[in-house]
Amino acid sequence: MSLQEVSQAEEIAKEFKEHSVAEFFKKNMQMLGLTGKIKALTTIVHEYVTNSLDACEEAKITPDIEVQIKELGPEYYEVTVKDNGPGLTKETVGKALGQLLAGTKFHRMMQMRGQQGIGAAGCTMLSQITTGKATQVITGTGHGQPISLDLTIDPKKNQAKIANLVELKTTFKGTLIKAKFKGMKYVNSEQAPLEYLRRTAIANPHAQITLIEPTKQKIVFKRTLKDIPKQPLEMRPHPKGVNVDELSTLAKYTNAKQVSSFLKNEFDRVGDKAIAEIQKNVSFDLKKDPKKIEWDEAEEIVKQFRKINFISPRTDGLRPIGEERIRKSLTSIVQPEFLSVLTRKATVYRGGFPFQIEVAIAYGGNAGKGNVKNEDGVIEKKMEIMRFANRAPLLFDTGGCAITKAVQSIDWKRYGVKDFERAPITIFVNLISVHIPYTSAGKQAINDEVEIMEELRLALMNSGRKAGQFISGKRREQERKMKKELFYKFIPEIASALEGITTTSKIKLEKELEHLVLEKLKLEDAEEQAELEKELKSASAKKEKIKEILVEKKETKK
Amino acid sequence: MVKEKKTSKEKETPKQIAKKLEDMSNRIVNQIHKNIDPVFTTQQRGRSNVEFDKNSKVLTLGDKTTSRNFLNIGHAKKFMQTMMVTEKTHNYLKENKTASIREIYYELKHTLGKTKENTFEEQTESDSCIVDLEHSVNTIREKLNLHANPKGTLYGDITLVDKKHNNDQFNANKLGRGGWSIMSRLEPEEIEIKQVKADYLLVIETEAMYERLVEEGFAKKNKAILISTGGQAARGTRRLIHRIHTEQKLPVYVFTDGDPYGWYIYSVIKQGSMALAAHSNFLAVPEAKYIGMTLEDVETFGLENVTERMKDGDIKRAKEMLEYPWFQNEGWKNELKLALQKKIRIEQQALANKSLSFVADEYLPKKIKKKDFLP
Repeated sequence: MSLQEVSQAEEIAKEFKEHSVAEFFKKNMQMLGLTGKIKALTTIVHEYVTNSLDACEEAKITPDIEVQIKELGPEYYEVTVKDNGPGLTKETVGKALGQLLAGTKFHRMMQMRGQQGIGAAGCTMLSQITTGKATQVITGTGHGQPISLDLTIDPKKNQAKIANLVELKTTFKGTLIKAKFKGMKYVNSEQAPLEYLRRTAIANPHAQITLIEPTKQKIVFKRTLKDIPKQPLEMRPHPKGVNVDELSTLAKYTNAKQVSSFLKNEFDRVGDKAIAEIQKNVSFDLKKDPKKIEWDEAEEIVKQFRKINFISPRTDGLRPIGEERIRKSLTSIVQPEFLSVLTRKATVYRGGFPFQIEVAIAYGGNAGKGNVKNEDGVIEKKMEIMRFANRAPLLFDTGGCAITKAVQSIDWKRYGVKDFERAPITIFVNLISVHIPYTSAGKQAINDEVEIMEELRLALMNSGRKAGQFISGKRREQERKMKKELFYKFIPEIASALEGITTTSKIKLEKELEHLVLEKLKLEDAEEQAELEKELKSASAKKEKIKEILVEKKETKK
Repeated sequence: MVKEKKTSKEKETPKQIAKKLEDMSNRIVNQIHKNIDPVFTTQQRGRSNVEFDKNSKVLTLGDKTTSRNFLNIGHAKKFMQTMMVTEKTHNYLKENKTASIREIYYELKHTLGKTKENTFEEQTESDSCIVDLEHSVNTIREKLNLHANPKGTLYGDITLVDKKHNNDQFNANKLGRGGWSIMSRLEPEEIEIKQVKADYLLVIETEAMYERLVEEGFAKKNKAILISTGGQAARGTRRLIHRIHTEQKLPVYVFTDGDPYGWYIYSVIKQGSMALAAHSNFLAVPEAKYIGMTLEDVETFGLENVTERMKDGDIKRAKEMLEYPWFQNEGWKNELKLALQKKIRIEQQALANKSLSFVADEYLPKKIKKKDFLP
């Protein structure tokens, strides 16, 4: 190969690489959640807002985020997101917003909301592809003057290009991003930015979130709690949850000098006993330099990981929203008549991934979705499921999600909810995990892992029982009221007729008849209550049965 | 509920009836005082509680009773309505007023309190309360000073006194061809049967046949009293037939079309109706005889060419009647079977095929003379 030939080959390779980022990006828009005109706009809002929330939390600032969406033309929008976060510098702004796949979030065993999507840099790219325009950024750190700049990405180098950089005379701490997009649509649907922000506000009661819609309508989701949630802890991966590729990658970056110390340092619950066990069963010496580990060798280790009984992973790194916070935010935003909140204890799926389920059931008030009037002019509500993964709302792929499946697997009638699908109910479910098992790269549906399904069902049944008691009590009360009115309506005529014939005082008769009605209703209520308790008993017996089945299933899976 | 013998029942005065209503109401009031769900009880009606009494040969009501409780969602309104009807009729009795069943409906109809609901939406609701009340205190509506729409005509040498109208005395022979329109209230305390100069009472189904017989001077020639029912006999008409028969010992002959409808008119006059089985003692005439039309008449008088085909409904009805215990005798079984076999019917007026006067001059006198009746 001549020198010229070499340089030509290098050129081709370089060109291929340069094109690849943009090409890859365009081709994989669907996978990343950007097709669909409504979905795309929601995803953009999600990326910016998530960044803002994460930045504020890390800097221990109570977030105040304002999102404005302006319609510039048909399917042409400008999205502005302003936060009061720590701000960016000239140096960090490029990496945050101008470099694709630059995130540090890969391979971190930590509960994080920004796991899905394309990142804010993806938005910069998307704006560029669809409008040819730069993304405007105004940011201030509180030290020195805030800066304003226009940002584009050089797809060939996958690098930020900064233009029109100026220092501003004003004082501003935080970040404002303004970008334009084409091929989007703003509507008021369940998958639209408004609903996304409503749910984000519910899961983040410490944040104040404002949306200014294209109609100039301003919607404020007020902060309900001032304290910032504790940061989740970064956890070492548990040996049961690691695959060969991840183990190989971790081996390359470790500081350990031997495979044995690498395994003990980098993985949770791996001790000398386990190392001795592994050494007995692998074909190579564990004193080997981990950086030199071969794929086959990594495979052998993972195989041993599967065999050995490790203690379950630590779960203390998980940070659920917490019952009190969920209660406060749902009370503020949904204003239900009844609310049942439950944060389950953390547990583990597939032996290696800690997770935790939070469930809330809200009934009445603004709970449930839809404000459609039916033929009789009565507002009809529908049951609503709010799904969250690490506090981030999941709006798409509803049907394929474990949360939806778990909700639908429950016989709500048993809990006294007669027409569940059309009840004014909001079911809030948050799955917290260092590793959310999504069904696909779109990261909008959770896979129905046996342990996750079990936890979901137990949480839902527990809250459901409490909600059911309230709902059936309320229904009984309504029925009682209707019956009372029905009987009462006839009393005056009866009393006056009897007075006419027998000269007994009408007022006396009325009082006695009313007393009769009330006593009867009281009796009926007591009977119904007894009936319901009987039903609930048989329901909890059934629950035990389900538990057994789940355990069996788990064992056969092993 | 009060059960009594026929004799005392017929002679009950308005005061006594009012007392019955008061007793019933006091019972209900006492239940209310004692914190017991007040209940109104009455006799159950309809086929399931109707029996044919082989001794008295009339339809009677069985012992089954039915209750309406106030504290029952399905009964509450009916309970209220019954109390309202009770009070209103009690009032009529006290004030010596009478009303039609349509009038009491309108008197009681109004909106309930602040609701959009009426005490009564339709007359059928108050009508059924009246029937309940009649059966509960074991009397007839006329004794409750209520009456249905009158229907029927009386003609012939019979003298009546209207005690509620200046004691007017009149003879039904002297009221022109139209005769006397039979009122719905025919209780002895209102209408007195003073005198009857006749050998029998002829009950006629159709007005047209009645008119024919009046024109032919049938009543005078044959010493007969004529009553036309105009289809199914109204309560007042049945009550009058019953009273003429029992008070004046006059035989009763019934003359209807020769079809299931006509035969059932006869059946109701003779043994009472299912709906008013409880009042058969007031209304039925078990000794009544059926004069025609019969299928035998068709043969005897050569009327084959003026018969008509039975309709599906006629056939069904005839089959049902064949099952009724009170049609279980040779005469009627043969008649019904013959009708079902030939599938024909014959109207009274078909006799005009012979001549207009044929019915008055030949058919009726011949049959009566020969006592050619069905039982």
